[in-house]
Amino acid sequence: MAEFTLTAAPPLAGHDETFGDTRLHAPQDFAIVSVALPLGGETAAKKAIKTAYGVELPAPGKSVVAKGKERILRLAPDLAFVFFTHAGADAETIVADKLKDKAYLTDQTDVWTALELSGPMARAALERICPLDLYTDAFALNDGARTVMEHLGTIILRTDDDTYLLLSASSSADSFLHAIETSIKNVI
Amino acid sequence: MTQVNRLPGGLVDRSEEVKFQFNDKWMRGYPGDTLASALMANGQLLVGRSFKYHRPRGVFTAGSEEPNALVQLRRRAEQEPNTRATMIELFEGLYATSQNHRGSLEFDLLAINDFFAPFLSAGFYYKTFMWPKAFWEKLYEPIIRSAAGLGRLSMKEDPDSYDKGFLHCDLLVIGAGPAGLAAALTAGRSGARVILADEDFRPGGRLNAETLELGGMAGHAWAEEAVKELAEMDNVRLMSRTTVYGAYDHGIYGVLERCTDHLRDSNGKPRQILWRIYSKRAVLAAGATERPIAFGNNDRPGILLAGAMRAYANRYAVAPGKQIAVFTNNDDGWRTAADLYAKGVEITTVVDSRDKPALLNIPGARHFGGQAVMDTVGRAGMKSIQLTNGQVIPCDGLAVSGGWNPNVHLTCHQRGRPEWREDLCAFVPGSDLPPGMVVAGAANGAMTLAAALSEGAVKASAQLEDLGIKPKGGEMPQAEDEPRDCAAFWHVKQSKNRAWVDLQNDVTVKDVKLANTEGFRSVELLKRYTTMGMATDQGKTSNIAGLAILAEEAGKTIPEVGTTIFRPPYTPVPLGALAGRARGKDFRPYRLTPSHKWTEENGASFVTVGNWLRAEWYTQPGEKGWRDSVDREVLQTRKSVGICDVTTLGKIDIQGKDAGAFLDMVYANTFSTLKVGRVRYGLMLREDGICYDDGTTARMGEDHYVMTTTTANAVLVFRRMEFVRQCLCPDMDVHLISTTDGWAQFAVAGPKSRDLLRKVIDRDHDISNDAFPFMACGHVTVCGGTPARLFRISFSGELAFEIAVPARYGNSMMAVLNEAGKEFDAVPYGTEALGVMRIEKGHCTGNELNGQTTAHNIGLGKMVSQKKACIGNVLSQRPEMIREDAVRLVGFRPVDRSRKLIAGSHFITKGDTASMANDQGWMTSVAYSPNLGYSIGLGFLKEGQNRMGEIVRAVSPIHNTEMEVEVVSPHFIDPEGERLRG
Repeated sequence: MAEFTLTAAPPLAGHDETFGDTRLHAPQDFAIVSVALPLGGETAAKKAIKTAYGVELPAPGKSVVAKGKERILRLAPDLAFVFFTHAGADAETIVADKLKDKAYLTDQTDVWTALELSGPMARAALERICPLDLYTDAFALNDGARTVMEHLGTIILRTDDDTYLLLSASSSADSFLHAIETSIKNVI
Repeated sequence: MTQVNRLPGGLVDRSEEVKFQFNDKWMRGYPGDTLASALMANGQLLVGRSFKYHRPRGVFTAGSEEPNALVQLRRRAEQEPNTRATMIELFEGLYATSQNHRGSLEFDLLAINDFFAPFLSAGFYYKTFMWPKAFWEKLYEPIIRSAAGLGRLSMKEDPDSYDKGFLHCDLLVIGAGPAGLAAALTAGRSGARVILADEDFRPGGRLNAETLELGGMAGHAWAEEAVKELAEMDNVRLMSRTTVYGAYDHGIYGVLERCTDHLRDSNGKPRQILWRIYSKRAVLAAGATERPIAFGNNDRPGILLAGAMRAYANRYAVAPGKQIAVFTNNDDGWRTAADLYAKGVEITTVVDSRDKPALLNIPGARHFGGQAVMDTVGRAGMKSIQLTNGQVIPCDGLAVSGGWNPNVHLTCHQRGRPEWREDLCAFVPGSDLPPGMVVAGAANGAMTLAAALSEGAVKASAQLEDLGIKPKGGEMPQAEDEPRDCAAFWHVKQSKNRAWVDLQNDVTVKDVKLANTEGFRSVELLKRYTTMGMATDQGKTSNIAGLAILAEEAGKTIPEVGTTIFRPPYTPVPLGALAGRARGKDFRPYRLTPSHKWTEENGASFVTVGNWLRAEWYTQPGEKGWRDSVDREVLQTRKSVGICDVTTLGKIDIQGKDAGAFLDMVYANTFSTLKVGRVRYGLMLREDGICYDDGTTARMGEDHYVMTTTTANAVLVFRRMEFVRQCLCPDMDVHLISTTDGWAQFAVAGPKSRDLLRKVIDRDHDISNDAFPFMACGHVTVCGGTPARLFRISFSGELAFEIAVPARYGNSMMAVLNEAGKEFDAVPYGTEALGVMRIEKGHCTGNELNGQTTAHNIGLGKMVSQKKACIGNVLSQRPEMIREDAVRLVGFRPVDRSRKLIAGSHFITKGDTASMANDQGWMTSVAYSPNLGYSIGLGFLKEGQNRMGEIVRAVSPIHNTEMEVEVVSPHFIDPEGERLRG
């Protein structure tokens, strides 16, 4: 038994608030692992992804939900993120076990803070901080993109008709939360 | 006061009254009124004082071009100066005051300026206040500044909130007049994504101000129907009270939406929103602005532009008086006479500068063709006008029309030049429009209703086709091509009294002529010399007349004289809106270290480092100042062990078969030979050989490196490496991703650091000196299995480690390290102690790697490998960069040990004068060393490596200090490095 124990305290953990029908909450145990496709080894990596998750690696800017509920977002030709629910600090190992050294992995779980914004005012709120065109046809279901919101680098994913998953740096989580909360309050 | 000037009809809502105050007098108006129309309805024609001469002024226009009727809106902290009464929508309880007067509006003490007008011509202060020179700054300028300006700021914090936002569309339609509505209807019906923006609160533009019909309907009724149809389209966004103020690159427009200015209270919502609209195409349908004619005393309250007077009568059901005269050089002025007559207002006279028969029959009105108004009589209002034929005609209001200028402003925002159209006597948009923009309607010179409607639809259709969208529904109702003949007539030469060209800046015809006489003949110089076209209205009503008079004086045509360039914003944008929500604590984002909570609870004082908040020191009870804390932290760390959160250093995960080769490219020294489980110090150069950044990189696996960068350069280094990866080395298998925020990293430094870590790191990891020597790295687990990374590196010069855990455990890890360290009297230390220890050790930071220095300067010249290709190594070998007598990094200590060194001091050889020619280098970093008991410093000194023991002078002219310092090794503590290897 170790003399000391560590307690996990991710920023914004447990945050959940509603503004009328619009909800802003931090998904629990949200694990992120980046998957880089080796130069020359792309085919093998894609095959490994298909085998592991049962889905094709989507095109850049698109995401797909795997059989095991993992979501894979292709951020660049040679880079994807795998999102899944996992509490431990070994998310990278979980993906590594599936992909069998066919890709380069980096645990990104603690790099990001995640907030899910859902409800009828979600798009109107995001209009205030998101420079991207979120019109339903322009940013379709399962689309994802990197952008900047209130000076903060952000990844935005449309996970449902009126639901967006937002990722930003964990160190500036307070500022990020403030930016989104302010946007919601300004439009409801 | 009752609404003595209210007429029948109009588009105001008479079902309820709105009470408001002007200069503390209660008045009444109706919903749908502007403050200007409500003041006029109440007989309040005098609304302000002019800028320079404090002349009585009244409402002159009915739109955003208003030069005169500027008021202070609201009170206390909400007070906003220079607000155009013509743009203020009336609301219950509105409070406004007039501005720019000493004493009351009616008896302005500064109206004395008007009597001194002969001495106050254009440029008077350039000439008058030349002598004595010393008086300018202390006396003249303060007096002029005090007298100048218009409204006053509340000097209190703005209690309103503001926001910003981003919108996207296929077609942005700017202006909701007939052309804009036609364009929006066409695009909306075709299924395009449309944004229709209009500065008015009631869309329709001139349709609301005229009595013209479309398809048998009143113009305003058709506009209402059109807006209703547009509002029902999901693909159309209607934005009233919204000004498109700037046309920027790539179809981006700056837009100000006034959300709650028309309400008594914002109710916590943003008052205004600054939108950035990304459009694929745009139709500018901004309409036209009427211009006046300059004649003697043409600035009295009761003198309005003819189109404005028509707008007040038709839309707001008000007139400035009971007996109105009209002075025009075009057909349009006649409509004012006809419309006001139809509203029951007596038209005494129509004066047409053109010698032609009366255009319309206005019962009771006398027609003077080929004549002009030469002068007016009155003070705070009109009494009569005098014509060039000598006739004096009583009237209490005068409508003036000098023709219409297309609103070309946005077409010029990317340096487009307008072109002169002789038939309109006006500039129209040139051919070099901002990409993606077309112009329709009056803004394009299509001055009649039928032409504007048609052009709006046709231009929108062309834009849609360009986007691959099939246009449909572009058929517009029947409308008339009303008479629009105009003959150039800019000012009345027979006028003896002052004739105003620019009402807002009190610029007269004489001023323009004077500018020309004195050599200010370029239109740009005319503007600056006379101030014509400056301030809130930017000369919307005055510019062309000024140009015409200048042209006349210079013997040129107007197009030869040209125009000043229109720049954004089209109308004023409040600074609050530009700031948006960036204020106070949230002025910009801030970053917190993983241990922030613990740090805050344990007495830390914070310093901003970039966006990070870092602990600078921890105050203990009894400590009287920061030095007490820092000295304690330094001494205790060197004596036992200290703990510092160093998470802010950039961390970049580098993986790939070519990761080593890639690092060889970006670092000046070699990394491909680094063994797995080892760390190496790395130095990056810019392409020109100057030092860029430094840090350590650990080889965690065969194809896996972890790089650290300086805090300040974390993002820049990552961006640069990504550039190298994608553009310079695309054939390398290497992948980068930032993990800066992913790992909470702590420096554990001091002779007891290993003992402390042994209590935290799980026992199956051997961290003895043999198993884990200096510059080792590896994966470990802590506190019973939590994954961690351990690095044997030292910034302090002590036996030291850096241990990283997933950031979620960072706060807990800080607590555990301090708890485990209690038996060693461990201390947390902040950035100041960190700085002191690195200076004691002679390590560089940004002070030394400041973008001017080379590896040679910092004593690491041999580290720049010439055996491999790497960024900067070629140019670092330029002869000037590797001179033997170049400045070199050395240490300094004061000869008089009680003195405090000053960073930034320059070194001068003893006996030389302290001049730039004798400059030997400069002090980069200083600190009080509690270990040595005196002030120490690092700095660059010419040929410093050969001058150990020499005494030089450290001179700081800024501090007016000078002291003798001894040149020493930069390594004040443990120069042999025995501690860190221990």
